[in-house]
Amino acid sequence: MGKYLEVTRIYMKSQLAWRADVVFNMIFTISKILFAYLLWSMVYEGKEMVGQLSFHAMLSYYIISSFLAQLEKSGGISSEIHERIRNGTFSKYMVIPVQIQKYFMAMELGVVLFYAAFDFIAAVIWIFVFRIRFVFAADIRLVVCAVIMAMFGMIFMVQLNYFLGLLTLKYQGIGTFLMVKNHLEALVTGSIVPLMLFPEIIVKMMQLLPFYYVTYLPSMLLIGMCGEEAMTGIMAIACWCLIMQLLIRAVGQKYFRKYDGVGI
Amino acid sequence: MRNNVQKYMHVIRELFYLRFHGFTVFRLDFFAPFLVDGSLFFIQLLAFGAVYSHTDTIGGWGKGEMILYIGTFSLLNAVNMTIYFFGVNSIPYKVRSGQMDIYLSKPVSPLFRLTFENISPGSIPLIIMSLCIICYGIHMLGMALTLRAVIAYGFWVLVMTVLYYEMEVILRSASLYVDSMARLEQLEDSCIELCMKLPGIAFYGGYKVIFYLILPYGIMATLPVQRLVGDMNLRTAVYGIGVVGVFTAITAVLWKQGLKHYNSASS
Repeated sequence: MGKYLEVTRIYMKSQLAWRADVVFNMIFTISKILFAYLLWSMVYEGKEMVGQLSFHAMLSYYIISSFLAQLEKSGGISSEIHERIRNGTFSKYMVIPVQIQKYFMAMELGVVLFYAAFDFIAAVIWIFVFRIRFVFAADIRLVVCAVIMAMFGMIFMVQLNYFLGLLTLKYQGIGTFLMVKNHLEALVTGSIVPLMLFPEIIVKMMQLLPFYYVTYLPSMLLIGMCGEEAMTGIMAIACWCLIMQLLIRAVGQKYFRKYDGVGI
Repeated sequence: MRNNVQKYMHVIRELFYLRFHGFTVFRLDFFAPFLVDGSLFFIQLLAFGAVYSHTDTIGGWGKGEMILYIGTFSLLNAVNMTIYFFGVNSIPYKVRSGQMDIYLSKPVSPLFRLTFENISPGSIPLIIMSLCIICYGIHMLGMALTLRAVIAYGFWVLVMTVLYYEMEVILRSASLYVDSMARLEQLEDSCIELCMKLPGIAFYGGYKVIFYLILPYGIMATLPVQRLVGDMNLRTAVYGIGVVGVFTAITAVLWKQGLKHYNSASS
């Protein structure tokens, strides 16, 4: 456990080397909030509610989902594994005395912990800049459920990106697939528009997928909505984490032996 | 003049053959731009479909106009990806690595060669997909198309393609002046991401100054759509042409002056 904490600590410290990145990442979160502000200002003209959400609840949703989406930085894991398998430097992770997946989880934790404070500051700044009457859940149980769900969601995303990275051992070029995945992820996690705006049948289908519980449902819980889905949501995302872990184990056992350390 | 044109056409043809030769080595990359950008605009359509299921108009634009907008932005992006993106995008790398030397030593304009050397035929289906979206938008609007409207729309798409190209060159010309391009590329990504989702009619006040004048991504797909649906007045047309003219001059000056800053490897 100690060595993984050390990995977390090192990655937290290494973020300090890219101070300008931190500042600009904070600044550019404005594009998502500005999009939401301008779009929904027009949509709400002459309307009180859209899909059970008031204007300020809608913007609060975007603030929270943008904060959670910013925290989720596991996309780099799949591209890191992909690149290193292709150029033969994945051996770096195989020769150190750690479990590779746990190493990536510790790495992600370090990055998330570092960025959490800055992303939080950015979110607060945008609330004041856009004069949002921030809507937040009054029920503490919803907040706790949302935090637990978001944590499971992040674990799932690390698992997913680790799994996708490992597929390079089988398919070699997965770069295009990863980019398409990133686009789809933005839609199915509710980062572009809240999923509740889609027809009910689509929302029901989305509930079967893990992405529903990564950003969307925690954000909705934090603005005090969808409370009835809180417990089932936690169980659903926990089950998905379990399924993904089994998949990783199966794929890892099958394909790791294919790695020859000279690149493909 | 005629000889010059013939020479450059010949150069384009040779660059095209070279590019195809490259694709025979990396075959899986052929349709990558289509799959990546196609999925992006498909998602935009789904997202706005969801928004329009709760409202009839956004800023006076109905679903038909918004589909036209998404299709037009997709078309601009598709032309960009097909013809010049991969070439222009490599400018910062070539400046940093010193590979620009080879472009400066050839008897062809460096920018011309950079622009056309990485044509991506795999993005052509993206153009077809964009045209299908545009046709669907026209169908949604129930518009009776006239030849004049189509030509005018085509003209504005062409003009905005030039503006799109100039913005890409301007931002990448900065690599001739500064060490790191990361922030500018981040800025470009954020602006394009915002403006491909939001038509120019959404901007007002300071936002309009930014996205209509300083970083004019906001007018790129908006003006062609406004022309097609008959919303464009003379003032808007003159403004659009004026912006493109100004940015053409800025591009030429920045590129020319930038090359003077180029010091070969490790610039």
